[in-house]
Amino acid sequence: MARATGSDRAGSLSRRVGARAEPRERLDTIARVDSPEQVRFEYRVAGPARRGVAYLIDTLIKAGVVLLLTALVVIGGVELETFAGWTAGLYALVIFALEWGYYVLFETLMGGRSPGKRAMHLRVVKEGGYPINFVDSLLRNLLRAADFLPSLYAFGVLVMGLDSRFRRLGDLVAGTMVVVEERSHVSAPVQLRPPASAEELAAMPGAALLRSSEREALDLFVRRLERLSPARADELAELILPGFLDRLPADAARRPARSLALLYLRATERRGASS
Amino acid sequence: MHPQDHFVAERRGAWQELDTLLSSARSLHELAPRSISRVGALYRSVCADLMRARSAGYEPELLAHLDGLAARAHNQLYGARPLKLTGFTQFLTREFPRTLRAHGRFFALGSALFLIPMLLAIAATLYDPALAQLVLPRGMLEAAADSYAEGLAGRESGVDASMAGFYVRNNVGIAFRCFATGIFFGLGSVFFLIYNGVVIGTVMGWVIAQGHGENILTFVCGHAPFELTAICIAGGAGLQMGYALVRTDGRTRLGSLRAAAPAVGIIVGGAAVMLIIAAAIEGFWSPSGAPPPIKWVTAAALSLLVAAYLALAGRRSTP
Repeated sequence: MARATGSDRAGSLSRRVGARAEPRERLDTIARVDSPEQVRFEYRVAGPARRGVAYLIDTLIKAGVVLLLTALVVIGGVELETFAGWTAGLYALVIFALEWGYYVLFETLMGGRSPGKRAMHLRVVKEGGYPINFVDSLLRNLLRAADFLPSLYAFGVLVMGLDSRFRRLGDLVAGTMVVVEERSHVSAPVQLRPPASAEELAAMPGAALLRSSEREALDLFVRRLERLSPARADELAELILPGFLDRLPADAARRPARSLALLYLRATERRGASS
Repeated sequence: MHPQDHFVAERRGAWQELDTLLSSARSLHELAPRSISRVGALYRSVCADLMRARSAGYEPELLAHLDGLAARAHNQLYGARPLKLTGFTQFLTREFPRTLRAHGRFFALGSALFLIPMLLAIAATLYDPALAQLVLPRGMLEAAADSYAEGLAGRESGVDASMAGFYVRNNVGIAFRCFATGIFFGLGSVFFLIYNGVVIGTVMGWVIAQGHGENILTFVCGHAPFELTAICIAGGAGLQMGYALVRTDGRTRLGSLRAAAPAVGIIVGGAAVMLIIAAAIEGFWSPSGAPPPIKWVTAAALSLLVAAYLALAGRRSTP
């Protein structure tokens, strides 16, 4: 899904050669970036909805500044009829600065985050994952005038929809993208309730091999079990059960969710013992 | 114990340390030197952890956590060039004028597309003021003429507030719009340059034809050297962007655009600085009650300054 830059091509080569190569990249809102340490990072690319909320927050902040200034002018005792000269000049400059300088200022000084983006855990980065500089920020924000056309960012959203990294015109020109930056926590080990008994585990096949994609799917499923009602859990489990039947004991279909969880535990345990 | 839990227990301390270091400062250079090198060491160890976790096929959530951590550290370590004032002066005294001259043909084209229609519109409106109504509604033209009907010197406040604010926003907006719409294969820049040239020329011609020529020229002359030049420069940068999309020299269109982007960014950045100066003049100096002759002399000096700056600044190869 990523554009074929030089490093991407090198990455796909090593993927083809590598023994644990996955058949193809997942279809997802993820941008992959290769670091000089040959580590590949995955960035979650931010979509129009999330960026829209950030835009709304920034717009409200800008409106707030203008309101505050108006309040100061009024409290300062400037009669509206004589509201001119210096005050008018100041007013015009503030609006000019807000309209064209707000994003550039904050993105340059706060590492690619305007207040709205900060609130939504978004950050503007170069496509290589590097921080943006002044010129990048200027380009992507001036191009808002084109993205905005014909009205309300219609063109920008259209372009975002066509791009795998949700880049609007400004991002395409400046070579930037907006990523979601959420600090996750390390998850606790999987606990099954009631705990798996020795007999139950023993009933599972000795070498319960799971492909990495299968294990990932089961992992996500097992971690959701606590929040699902038993009936719903079984219902969901039945959907994927056919793919695992060859590795499950014959009576697995009676308790699909539990069987899948046991298979997962057994598989990860086996893998643990062998590595 | 599960090997992954073992791994997490063993490495968690390092991850948390890196996380705290990264969160404690906005950018790395604000940290103590010891901490900076510590971040470097921790980052490399997290990279190793990430690769190990990936190849062992640990849980996706753990991978996501390490991924995010390594990505944040990477973002801070590489290319984190702090913003410096010397960089800015360097930009203004050398980079911008040099880059502009290197791509002078776009500036020339932008100027032609903007100034020729403007001069033609002034001439046409002076020749026959009725022509102005082909471009703008009569009400708008009369409002423009009215706002320049009184001399500036005699009034305490100059043009009224809404007009001054409107002009700054509108004119700066024109320049940036002329640039931004260049992304549509240059067509937007061509359109907005010609369109705004005609509109501005018509208003000028009409107001002069109504006998307020001295007033409008006195008002405009202070900021015009910066503002009109910046519009030409920004429009030219838009044309350059569009040209990169049309003539790709064997690159993909996106690649060609990306290759042109650094120069375009520098040029439009310089135009933005000129517009800020223009806005300051337009907000404070142009509507002020200073006597017209002083304004004329200032305008002439500023025009010479702008021309000399664009033509001469940063000519020597070493500063």
